[in-house]
Amino acid sequence: MEIPHEVTPRRDTGLYNAKLGVWLFLASEVMLFGGLFSAYIFLRVGIQDGVDNPWPWGLNVHKDFVWLGFINTLVLIASSVGVVFAWVALKERNWKLYQVYMYAVIGCAVIFMCLKGIEYNSKLNHHFGIKLKDNSVMEGELVNKTDRIRFEGATASVSLQGAVPVFIKSIPKGEFPIFKVTEGPGSEEGVEIHSDSELKAWFHKERRAISAKLTEERKRYRAELASGVANPTPVSVSSSAKLTSSEPFVLNANPRKVVLHSDSVVNFKDGSKVEGKLISDDVEFIVHEVDLQLVLPQKQRESIVWDVINDEGAKQQFFEQQDAEYRHLREYYEPRGEVIPEKMLRGHILNLHDVHLGGHHGDDHGDDHHDAVHKSEPKPSAEGAHEEAAHEHEDDHSISVPRDQIKFMGNHGPRYGNYYAIYFTMTALHGLHVIGGALVLLFFTVFGKKLYLKNPEHLANRIEVGGLFWHFVDLIWIFLFPLMYLL
Amino acid sequence: MAESTHDWGKHKKSYLIVFGALCFCTCLTLALGIFAPFDLGPPGPTPADFVIGLAVACFKASLVGLIFMHLNHERGLIYKLLVFTFLFSLGLMALTLFAGADPILEQYDTLESTKGKLMEKL
Repeated sequence: MEIPHEVTPRRDTGLYNAKLGVWLFLASEVMLFGGLFSAYIFLRVGIQDGVDNPWPWGLNVHKDFVWLGFINTLVLIASSVGVVFAWVALKERNWKLYQVYMYAVIGCAVIFMCLKGIEYNSKLNHHFGIKLKDNSVMEGELVNKTDRIRFEGATASVSLQGAVPVFIKSIPKGEFPIFKVTEGPGSEEGVEIHSDSELKAWFHKERRAISAKLTEERKRYRAELASGVANPTPVSVSSSAKLTSSEPFVLNANPRKVVLHSDSVVNFKDGSKVEGKLISDDVEFIVHEVDLQLVLPQKQRESIVWDVINDEGAKQQFFEQQDAEYRHLREYYEPRGEVIPEKMLRGHILNLHDVHLGGHHGDDHGDDHHDAVHKSEPKPSAEGAHEEAAHEHEDDHSISVPRDQIKFMGNHGPRYGNYYAIYFTMTALHGLHVIGGALVLLFFTVFGKKLYLKNPEHLANRIEVGGLFWHFVDLIWIFLFPLMYLL
Repeated sequence: MAESTHDWGKHKKSYLIVFGALCFCTCLTLALGIFAPFDLGPPGPTPADFVIGLAVACFKASLVGLIFMHLNHERGLIYKLLVFTFLFSLGLMALTLFAGADPILEQYDTLESTKGKLMEKL
């Protein structure tokens, strides 16, 4: 059957059908992204300086992402030009040239997604931030996943209802101990469990047994009620079990799955509990930058971040940079007869700076933890130079952050703040559009020959319609680039 | 279909000009954002940066729309469709304004009182 108006325009609309269709679709897409842009503006304009998590403009890592975003913009623009040239090639009936342009466009889409992947990977897997109790923030890298609570387990108590106990996931791969069921509801006591899959199988079996028992108990209860017993024995089935390991086992517990932990026990959110001995819950961290945007200026010198970093040189370096920036701001505003605006005083220019640990005062490490803060005069340089040699790779200096000083920590994923939430929402949605558009265009590149030979104008129309979508994707990025990276 | 090859040459030329303009504008946006000499007004993003940054983005978007998406010579029906889209998306942007009237924000007004103290330190 011939579908009308695939090539020739309809008389009433003046358009071929697919074109009207794609414009209607694009109108709905404008609404979709419009809502998200509206959300962005709301979050961006609504920031309370010194209260809400700031936009990450001052971060060093962010400056690298600006370049990635810039290259991506150029890549998408080039791909848009490629699509219109491919369309023109079809109009000129040049199949070879059409294919060349289309493959270039798809290549651009691949480059775009790869760069996006690099950025996501860096945000999710490399950059980490710790917000301390007084809202001071340290930006840097986590050492060896030490956000986990390191624990040496001996016994585990689990409930045999609900889902598989979460503590299993905290046992490192290949270090699963041999568990023996020492207390349990059924006849299974003494069973040995050698791996997590065995544990899951055992768990499911026990859970089925308990649910069967429960059904029986309920039946009994109903029967007793029906036979007129005044106080029937209540339904009761024990569902807890205890697993004992022959040797102590390693547990790296994800703090987000843990309700509470002490020196001898870790309580997980699902009710499972592991008893043993705490190895360490300090977070090993390499500090790159200190961010005091959320700390009042008059409290910055006493911030607990300096106790945690415990490096007088780093502290001094921070405030030297702050003073230099402050002078710059005064040089700008004073000749104009203006005072420095509030936004500037709380912003990243004054309050976010690099710190290098183990610089001038490496010898402060370890000793008199609390006094370190009050020693502000610099040490003789000869002493410092000696220490500097010892700490040549000063960026590798990691510090131990006590967990009770931490208010929040995490990678730069959507949880890290409003910026990251809206960034991931919008760029991921845009990325899906890129993938979808590229797949459609790829289809017409690889399988378009038959249609081209039958009716080249029909294929040209399809490419025009696919191209309209592709230009729209480019158009969204044109707004995303300045909003997500610069403004 | 009736268009001659000469016609397509003109099209290609305009596409290339737009390509150049888009690349130039992208560099301009970047320069406004990160290089201090081009930064307008005081350091860091300021209202002027916002206005210019978004104006450049709008200019780029209209180039893409008009030339690449052929809106410079399109049928009336599509313009009618887009007028409504535009009005609705303006409405979406305006929705955030209503948030200002939301009583939930009142609690934050108390924070204004801390502002004076900030000036003392620096």
